[in-house]
Amino acid sequence: MDLVVDIADVQVTDNPRVDLVTYSLGSCIGVAIWDPEAHVGGMLHYMLPESSLSPEKAKANAAMFADTGIPRLFRSAYELGAVKQRIIVKVAGGSSLLDDNGTFNIGKRNYIILRKIFWKNGILIDSEHVGGALSRTLRLSVATGRVTIKNRNREIEL
Amino acid sequence: MTHAEDILARVGQIPPLPGTVVKLVNVLNDPDSTVNDIVETVKYDQAVTSQMLRLCNSAFFGLSREVHSLNDAMRYLGTVKVLQMVMAVHSNALLAREQAGYGLEPGVLWRHSVAVALAASAFAERINLKNVSLAFTAGLLHDIGKVVLNQYVADAFTEIVQRVTTNRISFSEAEQQVLGFSHEEIGAMVAEKWQLPESIIHCIRYSHEPDRLSPPDGLVDTVYLADCICMLLGVGLGTDGLCYRAEESVMKRHGLNEIDLEIIGAQMMTELKRVEQIFADTSKTSIQAHSVVR
Repeated sequence: MDLVVDIADVQVTDNPRVDLVTYSLGSCIGVAIWDPEAHVGGMLHYMLPESSLSPEKAKANAAMFADTGIPRLFRSAYELGAVKQRIIVKVAGGSSLLDDNGTFNIGKRNYIILRKIFWKNGILIDSEHVGGALSRTLRLSVATGRVTIKNRNREIEL
Repeated sequence: MTHAEDILARVGQIPPLPGTVVKLVNVLNDPDSTVNDIVETVKYDQAVTSQMLRLCNSAFFGLSREVHSLNDAMRYLGTVKVLQMVMAVHSNALLAREQAGYGLEPGVLWRHSVAVALAASAFAERINLKNVSLAFTAGLLHDIGKVVLNQYVADAFTEIVQRVTTNRISFSEAEQQVLGFSHEEIGAMVAEKWQLPESIIHCIRYSHEPDRLSPPDGLVDTVYLADCICMLLGVGLGTDGLCYRAEESVMKRHGLNEIDLEIIGAQMMTELKRVEQIFADTSKTSIQAHSVVR
């Protein structure tokens, strides 16, 4: 059963029948987390790096920004019994247009702030698939922790 | 018949734009038009008027009293909102179908088009263009060529993608090389056939390469930037992904920076969710049906 994580959305579940899935990641970033013991899975699809852009929008929807969405994702997983030290983290997205001058570098900025937040909090990325001009679908099976990336009908395991 | 002739014949077969839309676009394009002209244009369109009233009376707006006429709707919601809803309703019929050649499921091209329309209006306001509603309409129609080219892209997909990846060219450039036309060029031809104003035809033709138009045009730039932010934020992305060129000059021309883009992106997404909610409230099928489980 698919539970769709929309753009600017976060979902966490301990239902082993659920696949968390988010479509069309462009410069946005999808973060999939999984605790293999508690069998808790979570997924965040954030749009923009910093909530200082619009504190009001961040208050209405924490998942819009990296700096409010990432804490929300982890806290929601802890509430279902996940433990920080056990959590496996996989990351996808951060694409850009064909852009030699870095004119629109939302993707890059989204990725840099993620690294910064993870570094500050001692969280390691297990694997990632970022950059390029791709549109990606990110999928996490809560039963097995298997994470896949799909782009133009090509699926790879992350 | 050659491939190119076949595609051109397909442009000739595209059904006409509903009369209301053509008139409305012309009213919008005329700097001397008034709110009354707009009401006059829309009120004879029964289908749209009844759908408009249903939308206005939907739970989402939570109006304390029922709206019975277009004039009421304009009074409670404002002219711009009503116009946007009229255009959104009409474009739904044009754009809602699946476009498998571009990997767009049912409803996704329409969702992308509404998002670009909303963002184009926001950019138009940001750079002080007078005609925000025209930017909305141009944004809504910018990808109309995909509807015509869809089947041809599906047939030649492997070759197009191969050129995109090996030659590092844009998806449009690859379409041009393989099929003889890009979806922007075909879209502009459709708009010409519909006898839309030149300003809108330009927005479609140069939607991925605004610098090809000389001198540059603010309206074209707003549609270009709107499309960029919607692609970046992944609203209605297809298999062409983000394989289009970023043109630095457009941002410079209007003194815009990354933060302006992000602000408009966040605003667009909030408004898009609102529009989707309104449409979902009034039809059984949500635009993007989500199954909620826990």
